[in-house]
Amino acid sequence: MRFNLRNILFIGLVVFISLAFVKKLSNDVYFEVPKGWPEPHYNFKNNPLTEEGFQLGRRLFYDPILSRDSTISCENCHIQASGYTHIDHELSHGIDGKIGTRNSMTLINLAWSKSFMWDGGVNHLDVQPIAPITSSVEMDETMDNVVKKLQRSEKYRNLFFKAFGTSEITGQLVLKAFSQFVLKIVSSNSKYDKVMRNEATFTQQEQKGYELYKTNCASCHIEPLFTSEKFENNGLPIDTTFNDIGRMKITNKKEDYLRFKVPTLRNSHFSFPFMHDGRFKTLTEVVKHYNSLGNDKNLPKQLSKPMNMSDNDRVDLVVFLNTLTDMDFLSDKRFKYPIK
Amino acid sequence: MIKKKLIYIVLLLFCCKGTTQNKVDTLYFTIHFNRQLLELHKQYITSKKDTIALDTFKCYISSIQIQYDDNSLFSEKESYHLLDLENPNSLQIPITPTNNKIISKVIFNIGVDSIASTSGAMDGDLDATKGMYWAWQSGYVNLKIQGKSSSCKTRKNEFQFHIGGYLKPNYAIRRIELVPKNKNLDLIIDLAEFFSKIELSETNSIMIPSKKAMELADISIKMFKTE
Repeated sequence: MRFNLRNILFIGLVVFISLAFVKKLSNDVYFEVPKGWPEPHYNFKNNPLTEEGFQLGRRLFYDPILSRDSTISCENCHIQASGYTHIDHELSHGIDGKIGTRNSMTLINLAWSKSFMWDGGVNHLDVQPIAPITSSVEMDETMDNVVKKLQRSEKYRNLFFKAFGTSEITGQLVLKAFSQFVLKIVSSNSKYDKVMRNEATFTQQEQKGYELYKTNCASCHIEPLFTSEKFENNGLPIDTTFNDIGRMKITNKKEDYLRFKVPTLRNSHFSFPFMHDGRFKTLTEVVKHYNSLGNDKNLPKQLSKPMNMSDNDRVDLVVFLNTLTDMDFLSDKRFKYPIK
Repeated sequence: MIKKKLIYIVLLLFCCKGTTQNKVDTLYFTIHFNRQLLELHKQYITSKKDTIALDTFKCYISSIQIQYDDNSLFSEKESYHLLDLENPNSLQIPITPTNNKIISKVIFNIGVDSIASTSGAMDGDLDATKGMYWAWQSGYVNLKIQGKSSSCKTRKNEFQFHIGGYLKPNYAIRRIELVPKNKNLDLIIDLAEFFSKIELSETNSIMIPSKKAMELADISIKMFKTE
């Protein structure tokens, strides 16, 4: 009797421990917040990350099946080696060679983003892909038809089953799979990050550039994400061939005239050209633009004082910006075109 | 193990549903034009003397509540339904098993609330495949009415009303209360009411959250009737 009780207790303990493991496996915390960074904005509870979901999202990201005539994938305008933007294109082009009115944004650390697009018109990462898929100059397809095409593919039915436990594909699951892939695109291993972790040191010139960054740029491009997530008028004259009014198109508020999202500076050495319309080809031009501002009451207070940077200062600042280059991130095999 | 349990629960739910299927309080919507069943692509004359033909009528109904004569209230959970004139099944919305109480009011929203509009990818009737989601500016189209009229000096004489918006001051959701006229929950949406309040020659393309969309949302309330 006593022996039995002990046995039962022992078995109970083993079962209890195994159960704990089962729970741990199903709650796979697959998303790591880099040390010292704020909590991500994305609510992972509604879309728990899994390896299968990530791989499905990766496949969708590189598959032109999303576009009307199967010619355009997400990668067309979001190339890994450039920080997931359309390298060397001022404006991104999509289906039938059509050209949009804005420079495609980078996809970096989007788990921390509260809004998407240059004007913040999209309020949640999950629904972001609807815009390029349905835009007549990008993929020109409907969500309904994307789901129908995927549903016809045995490969995708299997991948959705592995990721979500159902081969009944819906718009919701397509969007969640995209998020699972894009959320994992985290850049946190640049030289800057290593310096912050005391694993490396800035050169004298980089350090000088860092100080200049802190004086002149850090109020909008806030560490460690190098964006404030806000919308600002950065003093660029309007391009009258587009008359893009920026954030005001979304909010209808006068104060949002010519305001655009503050983009991250991470990997900017590879994400040229710059600004919402890609008007600057080099970081030197960008820095020159900011250095030319000041004493203009139409500008936000962060830009109201002239920066007065010398030529050497400008070079040092650009050198610092290069410490935000994360080569591991730009060449990470997990995010490349899936071969099989 | 959990999956197995879930299957049992689902089976059980189906059984329950099966046994009470005949006695479920159900909202039955019919779409009218001037008290006649509306047909798509058929020509109608509005009270403003516009000749119109509709090709789309879609409308979200949400947060449905049923109030009984003893003042108790039934609130449907996850209550989002897309009415689509092209899909007759969508016009019947089973709500709750019938009980002995008399229904005094049916209360619901026309449109989708701001929470569902900002919570990412949704399923069911809120799935983006339903074509009721704005891409360039997040949020649901609460009400979509499209068609043609010779009064519209537009491309192909088309008119489009995409009424939506989840941010104040252009939050276009509207809550309405209807008192059923009989034991059935027969509800009518009469589009003649909508077109009696707008000048089609001037107002024929509303596709963004705006003051004008707010006005049309107010007008849309008048379409909903119980007889």
